Amino acid sequence: MRRTAWAIALMVLCSYAAPGWAQGFKPARPVEAVVHTDPGGGSDVFARAIADMLEKEKLLPQRMNVLNKPGGSGATAMAYLIEKKGDDHTIGFFTNTWLVVPLTRKEAKVTIHELTPIARLVLEPMIAVVKADAPYKSMTDFVEAAKKNPGKLSQSGGSVTAQEALYRLVIQKATGAQWNFISFPGGGERISNLLGGNVQLLMAQPQEISEHIRSGSVRVIAVLGDKRLAGFPNVSTTKEQGLNIPTLDQARGVLAPPGVSREVVQYWEGVLGKFVKTESWKKYLADNQLEDAFLRSQELAAFWTKQTELLRGLLQEAGVKLVR
Amino acid sequence: MEALSNLVAGFSVALTPANLFWCFVGVFLGTVVGVLPGLGPPATIAMLLPLALKLNPTTGLIMLAGIYYGAKYGGSTTSILLNLPGESASVVTCLDGYQMARKGRAGPALGIAAIASFVAGTFGVVALMLIAPPVSRFAVRFGPPEYFALMALGLTMVVFLAGKSMIKGLLSAFFGLWLACVGTDLFTAESRFTFGQMELLDGIDFIVASVGIFAIAEVLANLEEQSGFELFKTPKGIRNLLPTWDDLKQCRFAFVNGSVVGFFIGVLPGAGSTIASFISYGIEKAFSRHPEKFGTGIPEGVAAPEGANNSETGGALVPLLTLGIPGSNTTAILLAALILWGFRPGPLLIHENPGLFWGLVASMYVGNILLLLLNLPLVPVFAQILRLPYYTLYPMILGVSIVGVYSVSQSLFDVWMMGLFGLLGYTMKKLDFPAAPLVLAMVLGDPMERALRQSLMMSQGDLAVFFNRPMAAAMLFFALVLLAIPLTQRVRSWRVRAVEQEL
Repeated sequence: MRRTAWAIALMVLCSYAAPGWAQGFKPARPVEAVVHTDPGGGSDVFARAIADMLEKEKLLPQRMNVLNKPGGSGATAMAYLIEKKGDDHTIGFFTNTWLVVPLTRKEAKVTIHELTPIARLVLEPMIAVVKADAPYKSMTDFVEAAKKNPGKLSQSGGSVTAQEALYRLVIQKATGAQWNFISFPGGGERISNLLGGNVQLLMAQPQEISEHIRSGSVRVIAVLGDKRLAGFPNVSTTKEQGLNIPTLDQARGVLAPPGVSREVVQYWEGVLGKFVKTESWKKYLADNQLEDAFLRSQELAAFWTKQTELLRGLLQEAGVKLVR
Repeated sequence: MEALSNLVAGFSVALTPANLFWCFVGVFLGTVVGVLPGLGPPATIAMLLPLALKLNPTTGLIMLAGIYYGAKYGGSTTSILLNLPGESASVVTCLDGYQMARKGRAGPALGIAAIASFVAGTFGVVALMLIAPPVSRFAVRFGPPEYFALMALGLTMVVFLAGKSMIKGLLSAFFGLWLACVGTDLFTAESRFTFGQMELLDGIDFIVASVGIFAIAEVLANLEEQSGFELFKTPKGIRNLLPTWDDLKQCRFAFVNGSVVGFFIGVLPGAGSTIASFISYGIEKAFSRHPEKFGTGIPEGVAAPEGANNSETGGALVPLLTLGIPGSNTTAILLAALILWGFRPGPLLIHENPGLFWGLVASMYVGNILLLLLNLPLVPVFAQILRLPYYTLYPMILGVSIVGVYSVSQSLFDVWMMGLFGLLGYTMKKLDFPAAPLVLAMVLGDPMERALRQSLMMSQGDLAVFFNRPMAAAMLFFALVLLAIPLTQRVRSWRVRAVEQEL
């Protein structure tokens, strides 16, 4: 009992002490935020939106400048962050591809586990949509149709290691249905090929397709995973529809180069912890139908490990050659 | 008539002093960015996004769009003067533009580029205003088989770019296709020809390669000529600084061709202005009465691609504004800006925010006029650059190239690649291999392969997919016709020769 009491006392002490340490660091010059996409890409837009909100909410004493390090689906950005070892004025915005790329590409010299986790901010759910005049009312309808006509239906998406590709894989495996997956590098082409009737299914993040849903040109047939979305209260999840598949939400968050001090991590945890409670952030989440999924540094490290293993298993099943 | 009253309302938005001012800021910055290679409109728009977000949304969009189409005007300047493409869409302009400059006609070339940009840019806006919704329905019907057919059509242009020897032209094109293979295969996520280099995972950047092949190779080739030579005939007198009436008359068809081709290719997501400029150059040459003069410095060779890459802007805004679908990097960041302002880009955008759409359209008319007024007086000024002695000019070209290429993605690797491509371009020049087919194949290779594989995935490997779809079949047929044109010319020349021998 006494030992437990001591432990509690120590923990309380530490939690009081923590803000004291955090005050040890404050950015003295503009912060560089590294993203792996070109201007206009998903990560770029996300980082710029956050920079804009941090400025409006006056949470950061310095400007945050977005630095684009495109290339190798994140490999270039990660290598750059490794070079910035110990630099406490640099952060990076990661996504799932930062976990996947080191698994599949031998050219990638760095894994995400070598970088310093700071915070996870959001999880992006995915929905499945079909053209409004298509006969499918649910994901199971589509699966049944695909079973009757193996190889006749197609889905548009990104690369074969993207979430939508993995979702197709797990659904095919769970149901025995068969349909084609056609890769398009740009998000726009994925949508236009659905609208043009060249493919019959698209899995996308709600904000990518929400305006087409609103205008009535496409219909949502399922939320992928096990949680309904506030934006589509009437759309059932794949789990409700009887499909037993894992949830593969896209995670986004912040990390730092290796070798930054504990104070820097705590500073950012503090700033972002306050940030996720602001009204602008809540509005942003609602507008973009994102799930608030704030995790601190330690939990984030555990999440990375768990997620990497999940993805490794799925990619192996997909027949993608793994190098790590 | 509704369009007219909307447009009047649009002008009342666009002509307010604040909007006029920011429109000018946008097109001016666009011109500057266009002139410098490397730093392109997407990066510039991204940099100015924080500023634009503080402005009223319509004003901000007017400025950002100004950067977008302004850059297309500026891109031709260095292509013509220094054989240094300022934007990937201006690579084709090097072919005839630089040759015009070498003949002492830099001024007229720049003038033609500005006028073609104005005519086609305005055409693009008119088309955007009048036919955006039906055209966007056409664009979504364009599936992988149609893209493949379009790219195949584009690739047949090789026969028009080949120059004297068809074999050398084809070899050059094959090499370009190989270069286009470098990088990550989208369909299997495997690396091809990356030699373990992380920097090659995304393939070879087109602007890096073309700056090397055109600008650096040109500098190297000219260095051979020891000293005391006059590189350019210096234009004298104001009359020689602007295009003549005959030049403009010669470009009539090129203006129309560039406008129409640029707009329709612009509408297609994923095709882009580089492809538009190549295809319109090819069409210009295919239907010309003197195809042999292309590449020697004729005004049509400048007017067609410069027109196409400006008209493309109007086209690219169609899917963005009517469907919320971005077709390129630049439109993707404009989409992001719209979202950050709180708009909901999609099929309902124009309907729900008519002020934004019509204000933008009206501002683009104004912006095109501003650009013409800004660029024409600059022609004589820019043309003076060629008066610089070579020991000043060459280091300047090298410096601008290095800085420009480095700024593409802040990577020294790219600078080395540029050097490598410079040596390649120099070797090709020495061995008399044409560079244009290589560059064309490099642009088309990737989208063409992709479209082919996408089509075959759709059809489960059945080639009939290209013939069952009328648009694809028509384009492939047209490509065959284009391939046949030089063949018939050759047959005719054989016959002429045969007749002469008999006589």
